Amino acid sequence: MVASLTIGALVSLVCGLDRVAILQIMISRPIVAAPLTALLLGEPLIGLQIGVMVELLWLARLPVGAAIPPDDTQVAISSSVLAIIMAKTLSASGTELFLLCLLIAIPLGKVGQYFDHYARQYNIRLTKKVDSALENGSLLTAELQHLRGLGSFSLAAIGTYAVIMLGGLLTIPLLWPFLQHPLSHSSGWIQLAFPLVGIAVILGTINVSRALTLFCTSFGMAFLLMWLV
Amino acid sequence: MYLVWYGFSADVVGVEMAIPRKTRIYIWFRLLLLQASWNFERLQGIGFFYCLLPGLKKLYSGEKLLTVSRKYAGYFNTHVYLAPMVAGAVLKLEEDRAQGIVDPALEADDFKEMVAAPYAAIGDALFWGGVRPLAAGVALFFAIKGILWAPLIFLLVYNILPMWFRTVFFARGYRQGMRSVEFIQQHRLPDWAIHTKEAAVVVLGGLSAFMVYSHLNQVGLPSWLGMLTLIPMVILVLVARQGLSPLLLILITGGSIFLIGLFGADMICLLESWGLK
Amino acid sequence: MNLVLTRIDNRLIHGQVLEAWVPFVRADCIVVANDDIAGNPLKKMMMQVSVPSRIRVEIGTVAESVALLKSTKLDCCRVLLLFGTTADAVSAYREGLVYSRLNLGNLQADKGKERFSCTLFLNPSDLDDLEILDQAGIKITSRCVPAESERSWRKLIPACKGKK
Repeated sequence: MVASLTIGALVSLVCGLDRVAILQIMISRPIVAAPLTALLLGEPLIGLQIGVMVELLWLARLPVGAAIPPDDTQVAISSSVLAIIMAKTLSASGTELFLLCLLIAIPLGKVGQYFDHYARQYNIRLTKKVDSALENGSLLTAELQHLRGLGSFSLAAIGTYAVIMLGGLLTIPLLWPFLQHPLSHSSGWIQLAFPLVGIAVILGTINVSRALTLFCTSFGMAFLLMWLV
Repeated sequence: MYLVWYGFSADVVGVEMAIPRKTRIYIWFRLLLLQASWNFERLQGIGFFYCLLPGLKKLYSGEKLLTVSRKYAGYFNTHVYLAPMVAGAVLKLEEDRAQGIVDPALEADDFKEMVAAPYAAIGDALFWGGVRPLAAGVALFFAIKGILWAPLIFLLVYNILPMWFRTVFFARGYRQGMRSVEFIQQHRLPDWAIHTKEAAVVVLGGLSAFMVYSHLNQVGLPSWLGMLTLIPMVILVLVARQGLSPLLLILITGGSIFLIGLFGADMICLLESWGLK
Repeated sequence: MNLVLTRIDNRLIHGQVLEAWVPFVRADCIVVANDDIAGNPLKKMMMQVSVPSRIRVEIGTVAESVALLKSTKLDCCRVLLLFGTTADAVSAYREGLVYSRLNLGNLQADKGKERFSCTLFLNPSDLDDLEILDQAGIKITSRCVPAESERSWRKLIPACKGKK
């Protein structure tokens, strides 16, 4: 379990930094981060399923300017780790388990927004240090201040991961016996609802006139094609 | 990597380039760290200074270098993928100034300020609003089929355009300086963004149909029922338009499906106990 | 005139406005009231090219914009009005522009400015301007993007209450 947690933390650090601080090659998207975590833990398919469910949910929340979207990266990573650890410790399996993990992780993902917020607020003091370093003529110090910002973003990523993991590890073993059976009646449908809700939110907020018409036509045509062929 | 090579090999013969290619490649890598110290006061400001510094060092020295550095460590924010283009153009303008060619119309830092917000708007619309949902939609088809390559497909589909902008336009910005804005002006990028978004909506429509269809097949229900999904979808879209958060929407939808599932199961138990089934 | 959103944002047209607010309020015309941009053809053009062609953009000085909004030219449009500073918002009000709500987006940090929220940095004269508008019955709230919750400016600025 310790090994799994550590691997998860490493992925959460790398992918968390990709979100804002460095690279932006989108390894921070749930569809990449969750399967990656799960692959390293030996169960890639669980990660893929979680990735599908989380990817579209907050895709409509754009990181525009100073607006901070909910931390879907850490939700995806930590629910993958939770699902895999819990599958072993509770000797359980199936859609119900990772649905429960997501159910715990998604509200806790809100914490990520606050941590990210604090990191960006904390970094304000780096600007003061850069100013004084430039006053004193020390360019190297000024340069290094920029890299110190990585520290606060790393802490925010790991912190979010830790909070979700802690919440999950404490509550899931307690909830599982009660929810396993009731969830089994609807797990497949809930799994389907996640991406669809995400798509609905994208359609509701996208800057395209007649998005709904386009969507319905495309849905209908694709459906007819699959039905007839 | 080919793009990187292409971007930097395109030096114009006969034009003096004060910043050697090696330094420009170094700056390009630094631009990957642009937002490492993102903060609410200067936004990308410190990062922009950090990225430009190797180039500025080739142009200025001593007290002059510090003055110029102070200027670039101020407020700045644009889209990450278009920042290399701004950086390239600013380096060119600084180079001109160091060599004594000054454009009376616009100084390098005015230029930076002028393009920042428009480029941010263009980048946000094109990349966050357009390419990201499009690439996600395409990759999810594979992911739902259980193909493990789906994340790689996402990364490939998504990154083509950003990488092109980050490399080719960095080089172009440095070659053309102020004139690099002409590309943006001529090509009406915001309209491209709208087209990309329309494509994304179509892909997402197909994706929804595919998901619903495969789920119905899995649970053995008649597939025509899937057309009914459009009704809750339209309701959800209209609700989302009012600004309700995805978190609330998923809790409400998930919760109601859960309750229907429970109720449905209870009904079946009840019917069975009456011996009706 | 159908004014769907009046916003103060020192970056004027950028991602938050185009990607979040325009679809949310379903605006089809953006009016930028800013003397600096209006006086510089290059800046004006850069700002115009960042907007998709189906949205109408009108960039003018504060006085010009107010005149335009008071005329009947924009009657069929859903207008999103942008100011760069609080002073511009006040002078538009003094020129006789009627608006009932004011959204505070971004006001960048500068010397002498104090931080009131993540994206709002105000100096004493900004506070006075907002006070004037508040007295005039305009509802002033801070909200970067529609997904955030709206907060009244009074809640952000407790110091202002103490001053009175």
